[in-house]
Amino acid sequence: MSEKQEIGRREFLGTATWAIGVLLGAGFVVPAIAYVVGPALQEQESAGRIPLGTTSKIELGTPTLFKARIERQTGWIVNQEELSVYVLTEDGREFIAMSNICTHLGCRVRWIDDRDQFFCPCHNGIFDKQGGVVSGPVPRPLDRFEVEVEDEQLYLLGV
Amino acid sequence: MATKVGDWLDQRIGWRSVWETIFLRKVPKVNWLYTLGSATLFTAVNQIVTGILLTIYYVPSPDQAYDSVQYITTQVPAGWLIRGLHHWGASAMVILSVLHMLRVIYYGSYKFPREVTWFTGVGLLLVVLGFGFTGYLLPWDQKAYWATTVGTRIAEVTPLVGDWILRVMRGGSELTAVTLARFFGVHVWFLPAALLALLGIHLYLVVRIGISSVPEREDK
Repeated sequence: MSEKQEIGRREFLGTATWAIGVLLGAGFVVPAIAYVVGPALQEQESAGRIPLGTTSKIELGTPTLFKARIERQTGWIVNQEELSVYVLTEDGREFIAMSNICTHLGCRVRWIDDRDQFFCPCHNGIFDKQGGVVSGPVPRPLDRFEVEVEDEQLYLLGV
Repeated sequence: MATKVGDWLDQRIGWRSVWETIFLRKVPKVNWLYTLGSATLFTAVNQIVTGILLTIYYVPSPDQAYDSVQYITTQVPAGWLIRGLHHWGASAMVILSVLHMLRVIYYGSYKFPREVTWFTGVGLLLVVLGFGFTGYLLPWDQKAYWATTVGTRIAEVTPLVGDWILRVMRGGSELTAVTLARFFGVHVWFLPAALLALLGIHLYLVVRIGISSVPEREDK
């Protein structure tokens, strides 16, 4: 190869045309990927502190059902969602809040008083008082929520 | 490597001759005004790409159209860019189409044997204006609503069939959800189909006949 390699006008323009084409293409493709993938990467916004109700409603040692309405923004639509939470306390100071959604396939579990268990009617999943797995096809204990008590009012956090 | 793959493909599908016919064809010495058609083609590609992307989030119903457009502009990454390109590209496409047409008129390029290219070009201009008219309603804001109210009223002025045209455009006597849905359908299905068909013929003829040269004064 010679030291000085002459680049012809034709060759230069050809390469320049391709280069501009590639730049333009990237200018479309890169934002397009961000645009398409973007919402999938966005974290769901927390609804903040949600008031559940008064602690005096809870019977010691029995999971009690609380319902709360929350607003959730999905895309450009604001949805009203109802959140059902079982709250359990043994001593009136420590509270456990459990989701009533079965960890198997998302049906609603129900507290059965005389059996002291949560029961899921879809596939006979059974959880104990603390939400632990007892039997059935359930893969893990009931999901828990963080709760906070202030002036005998229960609040859900981080939903 | 690249040449090998190119050869392999060429033996099977013969792309080289197509490439040469389209991109290595002989053109007369012309000026920059002859690039207006290519520029219009580029805006068409821009509108197609960005338009397809916008349909991922846009919902053509009165209770969601405006919010979904706001969502695109403010929430989706690069959404402002995609929408901006489509918005400004639309105006650019109309302007470039008209400039391209003027060049064809002033240089006499519409004459024999290029009449059919000209006919399809006229059709393409109408399609582009149709895109502009239907697309303007889709953001469903005040400007869109009233512009379409006025635009369809203008169509109503047509003698004899005016009232009928207005009703067909609006899908009834009022501007409603029906209007929004049909404008959307026309904007993303009817007009693109027409555009691609006409554009196909238009470009085929440009390649087949070749572009006209700059007209010269006949010397005595």
